[in-house]
Amino acid sequence: MNPTTPAIPAIELRRLTKRLPSGDRILTILDAVDLAIAPGEFVAVLGPSGSGKSTLLGLAAGLDRPTSGEVLIDGAPIQDLSEDALARLRRRKIGFVFQSFQLLSNMTALENVLLPLELGGQERPLERARSFLERVGLGERGHHYPAQLSGGEQQRVALARAFAPRPEILFADEPTGNLDGATGARILDVLDELRAGVAATLVLVTHDPSIAERADRRIFLRDGRVERVESNPVRR
Amino acid sequence: MTAGVLLRQIGREARGARGRATFFILCLAVGVGAVVAVAGFSASLRATLARESRQLLAADLRVRGQQPVPAAVDELLASEAAARDVRSTRLTELVTVAAAPKETPGAGRSQLVELKAVDGEFPFYGTLKLAPQRPLAELLADGGAVAGPELFTRLELRVGDPIAIGGKLFTLRGTVLAEPDRLGNAFALGPRLFLSGDSLRSTGLVALGSRVTHRLLVKLPEGTTAETTEAFAARLRGALSDPAFYRIETAAEGQPELRRGVDRTERFLGLVALLSLVVGGVGVAQTVRAWLASRLDSIAIFKALGARPREILAIYLGQIVLLATAGSLAGVALGLALERLVPSLAGTLLPVLPELELQPLALLRGLGLGLGISLLFALPPLFAALAVPAARVLRREIEPLPPSRWALAGITLALLVGLTAIAGTQARSLVWGAAFTGGLALTAAVLALGARGLILGVRRLPRLRLPLPLRYGLAALGRPGAPTVASVVALGLGAMVVVGMRTVEHGLTTRLRGDLPANAPTAFLIDIQPDQWAAVRAEIDRAGATSVDSVPLVMARLAEIDGAPIAALAAVREKEHAAAAKQNDDADEGRGQRGRWALTREQRLTFLDRLPADNTLVAGRLWANPEVAEVSVEEEYARDLGLKLGSKIVFDVQGVPVPLTVTSLRKVRWESFGINFFWVIEPGVLDRAPQMRIASVRLPVGGEQRLQDALAATFPNVTVFAIREVLEKVSAVLERIALGVRFLGGFTVLAGLAILAGAVAAGAAQRGREAALGKALGMTRMQVAALFATESAIVGLLAGAIGSIAGTALAAIVLEKGMDIAFRLEIVPPLVAIGLAGLLAAGAGLAASLRPLAQRPIEALRAS
Repeated sequence: MNPTTPAIPAIELRRLTKRLPSGDRILTILDAVDLAIAPGEFVAVLGPSGSGKSTLLGLAAGLDRPTSGEVLIDGAPIQDLSEDALARLRRRKIGFVFQSFQLLSNMTALENVLLPLELGGQERPLERARSFLERVGLGERGHHYPAQLSGGEQQRVALARAFAPRPEILFADEPTGNLDGATGARILDVLDELRAGVAATLVLVTHDPSIAERADRRIFLRDGRVERVESNPVRR
Repeated sequence: MTAGVLLRQIGREARGARGRATFFILCLAVGVGAVVAVAGFSASLRATLARESRQLLAADLRVRGQQPVPAAVDELLASEAAARDVRSTRLTELVTVAAAPKETPGAGRSQLVELKAVDGEFPFYGTLKLAPQRPLAELLADGGAVAGPELFTRLELRVGDPIAIGGKLFTLRGTVLAEPDRLGNAFALGPRLFLSGDSLRSTGLVALGSRVTHRLLVKLPEGTTAETTEAFAARLRGALSDPAFYRIETAAEGQPELRRGVDRTERFLGLVALLSLVVGGVGVAQTVRAWLASRLDSIAIFKALGARPREILAIYLGQIVLLATAGSLAGVALGLALERLVPSLAGTLLPVLPELELQPLALLRGLGLGLGISLLFALPPLFAALAVPAARVLRREIEPLPPSRWALAGITLALLVGLTAIAGTQARSLVWGAAFTGGLALTAAVLALGARGLILGVRRLPRLRLPLPLRYGLAALGRPGAPTVASVVALGLGAMVVVGMRTVEHGLTTRLRGDLPANAPTAFLIDIQPDQWAAVRAEIDRAGATSVDSVPLVMARLAEIDGAPIAALAAVREKEHAAAAKQNDDADEGRGQRGRWALTREQRLTFLDRLPADNTLVAGRLWANPEVAEVSVEEEYARDLGLKLGSKIVFDVQGVPVPLTVTSLRKVRWESFGINFFWVIEPGVLDRAPQMRIASVRLPVGGEQRLQDALAATFPNVTVFAIREVLEKVSAVLERIALGVRFLGGFTVLAGLAILAGAVAAGAAQRGREAALGKALGMTRMQVAALFATESAIVGLLAGAIGSIAGTALAAIVLEKGMDIAFRLEIVPPLVAIGLAGLLAAGAGLAASLRPLAQRPIEALRAS
């Protein structure tokens, strides 16, 4: 474990288990996973497909409910919160970036960035949204609809949307999975820049070891269990 | 592919389409329900009319005229009766005044009654419900009277009390609760009162009355065939000296005029019902398109596996036929339930309350129209989907080939022809069918253009500073592939029918109920004897009349026009009428009927020096020719009779021929409510003819009843008609009719809502993703629901707005051009319609979004 881990982790998973019925069998997707992530830490979750990476991310973010075990955000368990309470928690603390960008297609780039700011009741949402679009290099494209943007541009809008409300925790699910190498690298640079600005905890799911290189810690999942954990010797 | 394989494939393809099937069935069922309800109810009504026509006539044969049936007929009947069991009864009907005599609690009160005097046995068929249930003749003997319950209430009388009619006292011996031959009493001017013929004659009312109907009821022996009845009717006609002035009805005909009325109503309402079915068809097209869009891969795989196009067509067509049958059956069930609502909706408008029975033809019509509309609207998207190339199995992006311009034209033509055929069957007239289709296509095109324009406009609104749900809803209008225009048009058509009908109804009833023109009379007095006039006039002044007008009235019959006897002219019109009725040609039928009525009715003549102010000469000059006796004719009436300037006519005034020449034509402003006549005769010609006076008076509020009460004591032959009361009755009838049409129009709204819900549900996958994303970004379920509701509400509001505008515009045209009534814009009904459309749409949208709303966010996000 990292020696600088303070007393209360940003995210803590205790014996986290997820089982799903599949036909007449029960499939164990996550099997009693224990994990603590410190505030400001960058953790990459790796593993082959079907190893439970995305499920782990969904459970940690409260998008899904565990079969058993606990998820603690800032020391408070969330698995028993109501849907709406979870939504409010996410609104205050959590940002997302998805592999398939997940922009609202009938809203402009600017409106997409604006959405969480307004939901969180943040002040001067419009200025803030504009400034984050500028920071991802899309200051002039705010009035464009997602369909009018390239994949890389859409993901940059998604990054602006994720970081604009200053989340404490950011979950990224294969954020470069749908992009070519060069574009993906550029996205990761933007991600780094933005994260530096808000000092957010980052949990990034990927199957690409080269992306995981950038993390403080790498968690390898296999068959729903933590296979091994590697700490990155090169701390930035 | 064998039939078995095909059926198995149809079954396999039906899997997992339950949601879509629901909307398909819903869209169809609403329209089929409306069609079946209209067809089924009218069929039951017609069946009842035919089956109970003897009860409805109360006889096998009935002669009706404005003059007593001549004695020659009695001789015929007497000779018949000697040979076999033929019985007859004379009825005399008129509207007169009944009053509570001095010694009763209601003394001084009076009431218009519809008096029916009976000479003989009544009724021959059907039941006259009386309390006490004694034979009518027994109750009416020795100055007895039987009256409807309302008369007892209004005059505060009880059985056993005396009642004053025509200046004589009679004794109330019972209450009449139901009559077999009083069809629909929506227009009744007062409660029923029965007297014996002798009692009526003792009053002298008939000799003085200007509005008396005489009937002769004949009962033939049991088992008389229709042919024998008709032959007897012909002999009766032969015995009448002037048969053109009488109508002979036989039970065998089964109330032809009523049935034609039912036909006409059914045709109109049937088309309104069809509108909801057509809108449902648009929903079917949409559901099929969305369903097939998700089956494109399967279709490509079928093709790649070597299925021939017509086999694939059969698989999907089979699905559609299955769903269409299910939807039509659901609609038939709905229609049968709806039928039961009709009596309470129509109230007193119905001539008889039919026994509702299963009408196989109506059910078949519902099934047929449901299937026809489904296929008609499902085929275009089906053919489009079948055009997907098999290569889609290799590259998913390959979309179906767009149809060629020729194919598009062919599909449009097929749609128009099919719709015309369906509307033609519904209206039993190809012309009406074509008019329906053309009008609908035009209206839909206008609505679609309007919807597109509004959507474009709304999308361009600066929305950045709007609240989130509103912004989202506005943004969603432009969602790619969103069936917004179709939803708006469908829902808008419904709103148009409802708002348009309401506006026409409102314009009409406002006109009828609104303030009468300043100085317009508020009541008419009829049947005043010339020697009574001075005293009646004094009574009128005592009642506080502010304006009084009075003219002489002479009753007459037309005898000749330009040398041709009226009987011959009437026979020609009768033939035209029958021919038009056979060809279902409303316009000609109406003309024939009007023409015959104008020829043979009792004509009311007056003589005046100068024309009243609300008359304008449009041709000729007034009383300018000293050579001939002149008459001035109302312009439209002259057209109905075929009269021109210079036409020579002969009136029969109580047996005396009076030749006249038409020297002027007038236009009359009837809405002034002044006393006006079709015929105005030069003074001097009729001065000594038997005559009465008619007066119009303007009285303070409530003065009409007081005047009637005052006159009832001294001049019981004078009848006061309060104009406002009559207009109130007409308005009430109009409102009933409009309510029925609006109710049916409501089904178009329902079909529109089903389409909207179907469109929302068809986008469930995208909606699920959006709901999940919203939740991931921190939206509560309520917030997500608010977004979806707002989106649908905006579609509803747009539809409501467009429909209201179109409905109001149509109503304005109908009122101004068709009815010559000034159109006044009403703000409230359109606003209510818009608000309701928004609310209903929001509800429908939410209901269709329940599934995506309930999903866990992770499921939707992972899926993409």
